[in-house]
Amino acid sequence: MVTPIFIIAIGLGLAFALGFIPKKHINLTGMLSILGLIFMTFISGQWLFGYLGNNDLSQYIFTAGAKAPFSIALRMGESEAMITLLINIVGALSAIYLYDKLKQIGRNAFIIYLVLIMALNVIVMTRDLFNLFVFLEITSIATAGLMLLDSNLKTLSAGFKYLLATSLIAGIFLIGTIFIYYFGDSLFIDELTAISMVPLKAVSIAVFLLMISIILELKPFPANGWGLDVYQTANPGISSVISGGTATAMLFALYKIMPLSSIQTYDILIWVGLITFLGSNLMGLKQSNARRLLGYSSIGQIGLLVSIIGMKPYIQFDIQIILLAILVTHLMAKAGFFWLAGIVGNFNISKWGVIRKHPELLFLMGTFIFALIGFPPFPSFFGKWELIMELSSAGHFLWIGLILLGSLIEAVYLFRWLGYAIKQENQTEISLDIRPHKTLPTIIFAVFLYGVGYLASFWFPMGDSINWLPLAFIAILFALDFLPAWVKNILSIAGLAYYAYQIIPEQEGLYLIFAFIFLIGGILTLIPGFTNKGKRIGFYPVTMMMFVGMGMLIEAQSMLAFFFGWELMTAGSYFLIIRGHRSMPHALSYMLFSLGGAYLIFAAFGIAFAGSGNFLMNGLSNMGGLGGIAYTLLAIGFMTKTASLGLHIWLPGAHAEAESDVSPMVSAILLKAGVLGLIITFMAMGGAESEYVSLPYVLGWLGALTALIGNLAASFQEDAKRLLAYSSIGQLGYILFALAMMTHLGWLTGLGYSLSHFAYKAILFMGIGAVVLRLKTHKMYEMGGMIKKMPFTFIAVLMGIITLAGIPPLIGFAGKWLFYNAIIEKGWYFQGTIIFFAGIIAFLYCFRILYAVFLGQLKDKHRKVKEAPIWYLIPQYLLLLSIMIFSAQPEWVFQPLGDILAPIFPEGQLVWNEGGTAFSDIGYWNGSWVMYIIGIMFVMIFAWLFVQNRKAKKVKQFNIVYAGEKPERPETTHMAYNMYAGYNKALGFITASGITTFWNWVSEHVSALGNSLRKIYSGNGQTYVFHIILFVIIVYLFSNGGF
Amino acid sequence: MEIFQLEYITLVTGGLLVLIGLWGIISQKNLIRMVIGFSLFDTGLHVIMISIGYIKNGTAPILDNAVDKLKAAEQVVDPMPQALVLTAIVIGLGVTALMLAYVVRLHKAKGSLNITNFKDLKW
Repeated sequence: MVTPIFIIAIGLGLAFALGFIPKKHINLTGMLSILGLIFMTFISGQWLFGYLGNNDLSQYIFTAGAKAPFSIALRMGESEAMITLLINIVGALSAIYLYDKLKQIGRNAFIIYLVLIMALNVIVMTRDLFNLFVFLEITSIATAGLMLLDSNLKTLSAGFKYLLATSLIAGIFLIGTIFIYYFGDSLFIDELTAISMVPLKAVSIAVFLLMISIILELKPFPANGWGLDVYQTANPGISSVISGGTATAMLFALYKIMPLSSIQTYDILIWVGLITFLGSNLMGLKQSNARRLLGYSSIGQIGLLVSIIGMKPYIQFDIQIILLAILVTHLMAKAGFFWLAGIVGNFNISKWGVIRKHPELLFLMGTFIFALIGFPPFPSFFGKWELIMELSSAGHFLWIGLILLGSLIEAVYLFRWLGYAIKQENQTEISLDIRPHKTLPTIIFAVFLYGVGYLASFWFPMGDSINWLPLAFIAILFALDFLPAWVKNILSIAGLAYYAYQIIPEQEGLYLIFAFIFLIGGILTLIPGFTNKGKRIGFYPVTMMMFVGMGMLIEAQSMLAFFFGWELMTAGSYFLIIRGHRSMPHALSYMLFSLGGAYLIFAAFGIAFAGSGNFLMNGLSNMGGLGGIAYTLLAIGFMTKTASLGLHIWLPGAHAEAESDVSPMVSAILLKAGVLGLIITFMAMGGAESEYVSLPYVLGWLGALTALIGNLAASFQEDAKRLLAYSSIGQLGYILFALAMMTHLGWLTGLGYSLSHFAYKAILFMGIGAVVLRLKTHKMYEMGGMIKKMPFTFIAVLMGIITLAGIPPLIGFAGKWLFYNAIIEKGWYFQGTIIFFAGIIAFLYCFRILYAVFLGQLKDKHRKVKEAPIWYLIPQYLLLLSIMIFSAQPEWVFQPLGDILAPIFPEGQLVWNEGGTAFSDIGYWNGSWVMYIIGIMFVMIFAWLFVQNRKAKKVKQFNIVYAGEKPERPETTHMAYNMYAGYNKALGFITASGITTFWNWVSEHVSALGNSLRKIYSGNGQTYVFHIILFVIIVYLFSNGGF
Repeated sequence: MEIFQLEYITLVTGGLLVLIGLWGIISQKNLIRMVIGFSLFDTGLHVIMISIGYIKNGTAPILDNAVDKLKAAEQVVDPMPQALVLTAIVIGLGVTALMLAYVVRLHKAKGSLNITNFKDLKW
């Protein structure tokens, strides 16, 4: 085992030796430096490996041949090995990244860089307070020295501010150190913690000074203007060392000295950290400079880590593991992101669209952003999970709220940025710096993130409940993205089919229904993808991410696995939605609502863990005393996915602008994930026996109003896909209402609707999607007469509409029959009237879409339009077939559904007789007979019309009379344009976008708050010094309640 | 009076120097004056360190004829702060030099020594 003293020896020795190498051999200097750094990495790695092998290692190294306190003690324990390994990896990779820059500056740059990394190692290893001070100073001198070598004025002024601030901070640390020595007679941290120092006020002040100066090194809000300037102006390679290396070392130093202080001082860390996390992210909202924004994000994340160190006394679980999971993610993602910022070169985040010319760079950026937000499969996902669970069982809900709020705000700017990168059009051409020594380190960290994520799952309880196989499949799809689309389509369908084959046979009850919708539905909606030519880069991995996420919801035994699947699904669907035309803002709002909802679910899971003490899904039925709050959180969280009123504003844009074959996926299938969530919530509440009666009552009203407003808004749309999207909102309102009734018939209706909505909405979106594909417009008044051109699509859409509208004989009618039975039984007459009314309004848009798209006049330019591609028709007709069977033999589906519900709602079941007639308490209905009778009527009327038709005169399209005047906007004379103007005038106010206005108001005010907060960063170095002094005083006053 | 003893005088002087230094850093607009402020702050710290290790009537911690080797612990001042202060002085020198190097380069770049002229980075 190489002794860790060699880390210092190599750092210092090499730095001296490099001075003797002639300047012309700069490459030799560079190579030696990198080799030195790699050897330092090797030493740390070797020690870590030694500890993993449970070797009994001597952790302490005493310099100068004497024991502490007469010498400087270093420690290389397991944590030190881990942390120095991380620092050295960042150091070595950053050196490779910076190679040409350092080389250009010359020999001195390599020397300073080596000293910087060595100093960070010592900060981690040293157990001596004064030694810590010395190396704090060396770190700050080395960092400032590197910046001094830059020729940019901004870098220089940032470097000066940095040097001023950090020297002052080190001075504060020195005062603390010297008084500790005075009272404790030692500088050896272990000895100081072992003896209890005299409980004097002076001692507590000294410890406070130590702690506050390390906190200040970690750039707490608002005393961090100097740090932001450095992040903004330093070379991204240096920034990555500061964010990844320096911050990591300082965090460890903080962790190391905390045992000196009393237990109460831990609370200081929590509050300083949380305020930094929130404040920094809030201020990032208005930031458009990429590097400064990364600085805000970095400071925020470090703040979160500081607060987690402070949470140590409140957490049962090993805090080091939680810290490590979040720290590793931040270190790798942020360092990688800084490198990426250097590769892109442009400062303005809205110009990052250039990156998509290189999909692999976009992939890296996506990886880093999702890792930073804490999505699976990255380590931070597991870290945050455990943290929230632990805080919840300790009852600290305020902290949970702040952490989740801060994460959400961080997501706002990171996903806006990602949106720019994926979608924003750029006029200016910017070339990227994609030399291998720049991209290689970035790729390495991205790969590490996935790898460590996998490993991290085993550090936490129930982490092994995650099925990694489907994720491996997604990774393979990413790797195979160069293949043509049809190959990947086959692969995806095969993969999904195999997954379905694995999962579905194991399911029973309610889960079986949703497994069917998610996975079989997934296969069906993938079929239209065969029409795509080319490669369709990025489509298949993200689609599979969504479907696999949904599959995991079905599979999940633990809340952890459920949340894993939920987040995976959200990530996949976000990418699917943003692929659409003009989808950038809609994808962002989709992501934010989804994340907001996910965090509410997360918090509720925390409450469940606190109540039940385990991570199993059935823990949800044991919420302790907080059931009312927890179930409300769950319901709201899941309703962000079902797009219930108030939380629906993301849906129309997201679904309407999505690609033709994506709309059915997100509308027919993805929304059902929210329904599944609601069902899980209601079941956990105790089903029929539930004591929580007011929540379903409120949700019932919400469902009814959602149905009304969704349907009404759908009727007023000009855009065919928006019409269908609003219709989905309305239909999901029905489902919410039906489930909220909490009766047997109510749930039967809700489940029946879930199934049939899946089928007919998939048909409608595929049908209309195909029309849009052919006509290249969404506007209904630009369509018309498609019945002749696309008859097969017409028939499918017609049947879909009949089902949707609840017209006999198709299954929609059965739904209505059940619905009214359920409403009458439940006695919700008032809400029921609204539902009834909403059902009538649905006819308006049903007619509109049929008329405007398929009937009416064929446009001249559409005379050569062809029938929809066969790949669109196949799944539509398969679904149509299932609707027909379901309609003709409803007992085949409703009877098993009733059996599934019987244990949950034993009262008020339907009774089926031999002939397939269903009896409720107040009526009966036979689907087969309705089918036969309507069928016979149809045939009779059709035959009669056919006979009559022979006598009729055929009128050609233009055999009509024009009034003579040519309107300026032709569409205004089109009947389909503003079709329901009268209704709109009378009822339009109901759909007026008050809710959108409300959310806009929220976002504007939050941004404005962030914007006014960041005004404290005046740019003046003196102000920043003043902030530091003020920060020390204020934190002291707060922690002591006065002087 | 107790308060006029040597260690208190040095302690208070050191504290005053620290405060004067801080005041200089915050209030002076001229970069060089700010660096001087830092120097004062640093010197103040060193004085405080020395005062911490002082023992009344103690002599220098050098074991020669002036000190009885057996009673050295009572007769000499604590050598530790003195050793530390040496290191701190060296570091302070390094930091001051680096700050001055910055001042030179900032002056070259913008022709000004006024800190308020270096506010390009904000928000």
